[in-house]
Amino acid sequence: MTPVKELTYNQAISELESILRTMQSDDCDIDRLATLTRRATELIAECRSRLVATDEELRTILATLEK
Amino acid sequence: MQNRTLSLLELTRMVTALVQRPETQNVWVTAELSDVAVRGGHCYMELLQKDDRGLQIAKARGVIWASSFPRIDAEFFAATGQRFSTGLKVMLRVSASFHSVYGFSLVVSAVNPDYTMGDLMRRRREILQRLKQEGILEMNRQLQWPAVPQRIAVISAPGAAGYGDFINQLYHNPSHLRFSTKLYPAVMQGATAPASIIAALEAVATDMDMWDGVVIIRGGGATSDLQAYEDYELAANVAQFPLPVAIGIGHERDITVLDWVANKRLKTPTAVAEWLVALGDDALGFLMTVGNRILQLTTSRLTGNKEQLAHAEGLLPIAARNAVERAQSRLRNAATTLSGISGRRLQPQLTRLDMTLKAIADAASNRISRQRSLLDSRQTLLEALSPVATLKRGYSITRVDGHAVTSADSIRTGSIIETTLADGKVISTATAVETSSGNR
Repeated sequence: MTPVKELTYNQAISELESILRTMQSDDCDIDRLATLTRRATELIAECRSRLVATDEELRTILATLEK
Repeated sequence: MQNRTLSLLELTRMVTALVQRPETQNVWVTAELSDVAVRGGHCYMELLQKDDRGLQIAKARGVIWASSFPRIDAEFFAATGQRFSTGLKVMLRVSASFHSVYGFSLVVSAVNPDYTMGDLMRRRREILQRLKQEGILEMNRQLQWPAVPQRIAVISAPGAAGYGDFINQLYHNPSHLRFSTKLYPAVMQGATAPASIIAALEAVATDMDMWDGVVIIRGGGATSDLQAYEDYELAANVAQFPLPVAIGIGHERDITVLDWVANKRLKTPTAVAEWLVALGDDALGFLMTVGNRILQLTTSRLTGNKEQLAHAEGLLPIAARNAVERAQSRLRNAATTLSGISGRRLQPQLTRLDMTLKAIADAASNRISRQRSLLDSRQTLLEALSPVATLKRGYSITRVDGHAVTSADSIRTGSIIETTLADGKVISTATAVETSSGNR
């Protein structure tokens, strides 16, 4: 599997959707469940981190803008 | 002929009387606006007429007195979405006036917005038609924004209220969405605006890879001068721009050509920022939904499996017993079946075996008895042939020197004769020998 950092946002979202579909289907066995859940969690965290700035980043940006 | 010299006032009063006649009062006139300015509540403007080549062939000062300007302005804006501004074609009801100090002017008492609208529409239609014919009208509108546009090139006037509103709205979003922006400054008002905005677009295009899209914004306000945006060159540049363009130029109505060509049209800079923030919030919402859904699925799947496991656990002892019983019964069945099978299959074999054994035994005993009887008859024969039997019948064996004597010739007088009888021997000495053929 490609490390989440190397995915584009869109790739990450498509993979999330595909995981969701797999998990919703009946033939998802319990052995894969843990793997899929872990991967999905990583993907969500990565996507969030791309969308949302940390407080520190935000301060830096605002400081630059006020100059 | 009068040689009397007139005072200036007398003359201007004469002119006034000549000018302000019934036929010059309250007449409808069409003209193009220029140099519109509001001072002390009065609206001053130049009214122009141009020929086909754009040369001025008539010009007059116009004024709307403060007593009627708010009403006329509101009526005009309500109908056209425009303020009186340079370049607009207008139909006005005017009265010609000549003032001894201020000279000639046309005092406006009413406006017909339909004429302006018609003219604007016609001009916009012409521009749109041309863009369409060139096949570029829809180009920018067909571009896709990324799911979450975060890198935004901003074309605006630095220090303008609209730009400040936009930045403020964008960076102080409650979700702390990450945005990066850069201002590409441009003149946003007046006749130079189109060329200035086009230059800014070109600057954005040179570092296109840095941006997800472009926003063109300027603050709204009472003195919107949107005529500048009814411009073919600007519209063509926006239409063909390789990044999606969002417009927020602060107007209430769908009134400029830019709105037709830009990928996204919003009313104000603040609205553009809100739109971008909403896209980010939607994406965050989606992530949260997916997260919850996955949690739910995992939990329900695990619960389901646990239940299944518990159920299986409960079933296990019974199942084991049942299994053993089933196995036993199967075994019994198998044994029965097997014996049935072996009965059918083995019996003939066994019978045959038995018969064979019997045959072998019979053959053996036959053979033995035959041998025995053979032996018996031999013994009888043997016994019959044995000298003992002869001896018993009264015969005897005569030996001389251990040799059986069969002829009297082999005996001499004085020979020691050994006579064997059936039950013993007699040793005697021959005293005479007689043969059948005579004495010797």
